[in-house]
Amino acid sequence: MSEPKKVSRRQFLNYTLTGLGGFMAAGMMAPMVRFAIDPVFKPAAAGDFHSVADVKEVTNEPQRFEWEVEQVDAWYESTIQKTAWVYRKEDDEIIALSPICTHLGCTVDWASNEEYPKQFFCPCHGGRYTKDGVNVPGTPPTAPLPVFETKVEDGMLYLGEEIAR
Amino acid sequence: MMKWAKKDLEQFVKEKEYIDTLFIPLIPIHTSIDEKMTGSGFQAELTNLFSRIIEEQFRGRIVLAPDYYYIAGNAEAEVDRVNNWIDSFTEKPFSYVFLFSFDRNWRKSESDLRGELLWFPGLRHGDLQSTETQSFVKEQAKEIVEIIKESWQT
Repeated sequence: MSEPKKVSRRQFLNYTLTGLGGFMAAGMMAPMVRFAIDPVFKPAAAGDFHSVADVKEVTNEPQRFEWEVEQVDAWYESTIQKTAWVYRKEDDEIIALSPICTHLGCTVDWASNEEYPKQFFCPCHGGRYTKDGVNVPGTPPTAPLPVFETKVEDGMLYLGEEIAR
Repeated sequence: MMKWAKKDLEQFVKEKEYIDTLFIPLIPIHTSIDEKMTGSGFQAELTNLFSRIIEEQFRGRIVLAPDYYYIAGNAEAEVDRVNNWIDSFTEKPFSYVFLFSFDRNWRKSESDLRGELLWFPGLRHGDLQSTETQSFVKEQAKEIVEIIKESWQT
């Protein structure tokens, strides 16, 4: 039967001090490491969705829906109002278009011009877009209206980021 | 409409050919009599709300001038100075000039103004956050939007 190894006083102190030092170093490093990689764990603000309407309200005809988002710049925190033209396509897909004219930024209206009852119309310079938001050639805008990311949860329509096309 | 701010005015300078309309809010200030003073503060806030809505709607064609403030009670005396503001845009005069105010005194001088007066009876007192004020603002703003559109069409 071998005798259990004896640990000298010196060895015991060495072990405990190394162990303790290790713990202290780890304790100091942890917040630094966390700080360095923290942004990785933050949910991307870009993926924010906002509840906008009951999906039952969405019809085949484009309608205006409004919602509010918080916006922070260097000086102010403010609430800004967002708007979208929302409708349901024949195949039931929900389309949400930004109302901001891609020409100079006026707000476009659906069917507001009698001559073009099935188009989006910009009152400023007569820019026009078809129902799917594509700009009509020969009018001032050079790009289609941006679309919002959409998702439906528990019967509510959520809109996310605008995607330029 | 473009605000009187660097970024917006840079866009204006670039896109001048498309921007032919000037919008000046005329805001009276009452400096004595407590009740009138607070009332004029409310009217100023209300005017700013309208400017913001009009701006959102028409930012590609209208320049929003800085607010024109004056001591309440003597709008007639301000006519020359307002006209000076309008005339000072000499390099590229605006085809359409709108003067927006809740001060009914402007109506007496309407014909002397070198711009179209958009006068509306405002609200004397109220709460900007109340649904009553919000629906008032939305309804009136619709009217203003229509008036501006009509002016462009003729």
